[in-house]
Amino acid sequence: MIWPKAYGGHERHPLERYVVLEELLAAGAPVGMHWIADRQSGPLLLRYGTEAQRQCYLPAMARGEIYACIGMSEPGAGSDLASVRTRGERVADGWRLNGQKVWTTNAHNAHVMIALVRTSEGEKRQDGLTQFLIELDRPGVTVRPIIDLAGGHDFNEVFLDNVVIPDENRLGAEGAGWKQVTAELSLERSGPERYLSSYALLVELVRLAGSDPDPNLKALIGRFTAELWCLRQMSLSTAAKLAAGEDPALEAAMVKDLGNSFEQDMPRVVQGALEHIDLAAPEHLSRVLSVLLLVAPSFSLRGGTREILRGIVARGLGLR
Amino acid sequence: MSESLSLLCESAEKLFRDLANRQAPIAEIWGEIEAAGFPLLLTPECEGGFGGDWEDAFAVLRVAGVHALSAPLAEAIAASQAARIAQWPPRDGLAVLATRASGTLSNGAFTGEVSAPWGRAAAHVIARLDGRVVRLAAANASCSEGANPAGEPRDVLWFDSSPVEEAADHDTLVWGALARTAQIAGALDAALALSISYANERAQFGKPIGKFQAVQQGLAEFAEEAAAVNCAGRAAARALDRGDAAIEIAAAKLRAGQAAAIGARIAHQVHGAIGFTHEHVLHRYTARLTSWRSEYGNERFWGAHLGDWAALQGADGLWPAMVARSDAQSGS
Repeated sequence: MIWPKAYGGHERHPLERYVVLEELLAAGAPVGMHWIADRQSGPLLLRYGTEAQRQCYLPAMARGEIYACIGMSEPGAGSDLASVRTRGERVADGWRLNGQKVWTTNAHNAHVMIALVRTSEGEKRQDGLTQFLIELDRPGVTVRPIIDLAGGHDFNEVFLDNVVIPDENRLGAEGAGWKQVTAELSLERSGPERYLSSYALLVELVRLAGSDPDPNLKALIGRFTAELWCLRQMSLSTAAKLAAGEDPALEAAMVKDLGNSFEQDMPRVVQGALEHIDLAAPEHLSRVLSVLLLVAPSFSLRGGTREILRGIVARGLGLR
Repeated sequence: MSESLSLLCESAEKLFRDLANRQAPIAEIWGEIEAAGFPLLLTPECEGGFGGDWEDAFAVLRVAGVHALSAPLAEAIAASQAARIAQWPPRDGLAVLATRASGTLSNGAFTGEVSAPWGRAAAHVIARLDGRVVRLAAANASCSEGANPAGEPRDVLWFDSSPVEEAADHDTLVWGALARTAQIAGALDAALALSISYANERAQFGKPIGKFQAVQQGLAEFAEEAAAVNCAGRAAARALDRGDAAIEIAAAKLRAGQAAAIGARIAHQVHGAIGFTHEHVLHRYTARLTSWRSEYGNERFWGAHLGDWAALQGADGLWPAMVARSDAQSGS
């Protein structure tokens, strides 16, 4: 919605996009396929990509024909992202990449991955990292599924075995990967998806409450409504800063941590508060609650763990 | 922040800091606050006031919270709003907004009790009773003095067939709740700043305790809570400046109550034993946070209010109703 018309976008205001996103999420729409391209791969290309890269990917992303995935985490590089070991070496016709990415959401459907790769040993660990656009149908790329504890398939492992790509696939300057990745994470951290994961449960609670709610249930619904409203105000305020071209990394970390705590607490609190809840029952409320209880641990892991986010906040407070 | 608002905050900052360090009777302290015009913050300029809006009031009361100001400014600003909506003529002296009232109102006379913060210093108290808003002269009451855990006067005024000024019903409590939210926002920020600087100074195991991740994580949580209240409170104040903000204020006060409890806990944990002393300034904030959480509606109270509203919207109407209420804000 906000991309330039030249690349198939609509040049709408970022807050208009925000409103559409939260409406999609509140309605429980299936949004996963295009989410990453729209939220971060596209903006990354607009900011750091060459004209050829933009022409190659953005119009097709805007048409919904190309899906993207994020190649950050590795078996030895989770929270400590700067320790990525996937290597890129210069070869005659570009770069040869070797290594492994993991927890790569939607890699089994995506056409392209933007991967963070070590291209040299810098003075600091954050130096010497570079981002590359890797088409997932290139020889040497293998994608293997990781099934999550609820039986779902979002995650994958992506193996890079002597994958050769031209230098035209380098995204941004050589060695600028860390700076680009941290800016990318601000986009990833403050959106409505960081507090709406459990919204369907609030809807079912209100349905259960009916027009004359039990006082305890009423107070519980009121509490969740207050927290939701407050998070929305914070998220909107961060979105306005992003729209104004600022990088509100600290605010984004705060919104994500508070949002994740909210969406994670809600199923736990509801389970304890409803006297006759049967998690095996076929009713919608039971189904929603059961799924959320299973998947809620992921809310404070994906996109930066609670501990990492609070570390970012602590740095902002001058403690680190 | 607009230029006039930042000038307003600067002068509030200067006066409240000065008053916080002064041991003086309330009459003297209130005299200076009145002379500076803060109680008339919401009163239109043509009536001799400042002509400000609730965003201004939120900012000034936040500064009062930052300095743990011991004076009934929040109560007075909330009462001035009630008097203005009731279209009552201005009266001299301090008017405060009651936190609670019970009794009977008949033929223009009231018999009953009114919980009035700073009742002993007030000339008038404004309360909501039996579907009416009333203004009562404190001189007609007998006052039993009390105090909240922070030592702030929380008195009960007893009236016996006392004359009242009456006006149509209005939810007066929301103004008190918004005023307290502002004070909580300021007190949280101040207690957080104290905790950060203590964590950077106090050394144990050979380094400042702020270098330990366990301490950092707690302070980060504290900072997030403070940020949430500041954001929610400001948003609620802006909503009130646009019109009805009962839902936004309910949400903000509820969230402020949660944060007040979390913030006070973490502030004391970081400060250790020294924060538990009378000599240390910390308790001026934490005791107020603890007290203010209960005043003008706690989480259960506002939760029930919001729960009723949510039930009224229904499962499929809740989201559209919530975003419709605050969409005007997102553009600002």
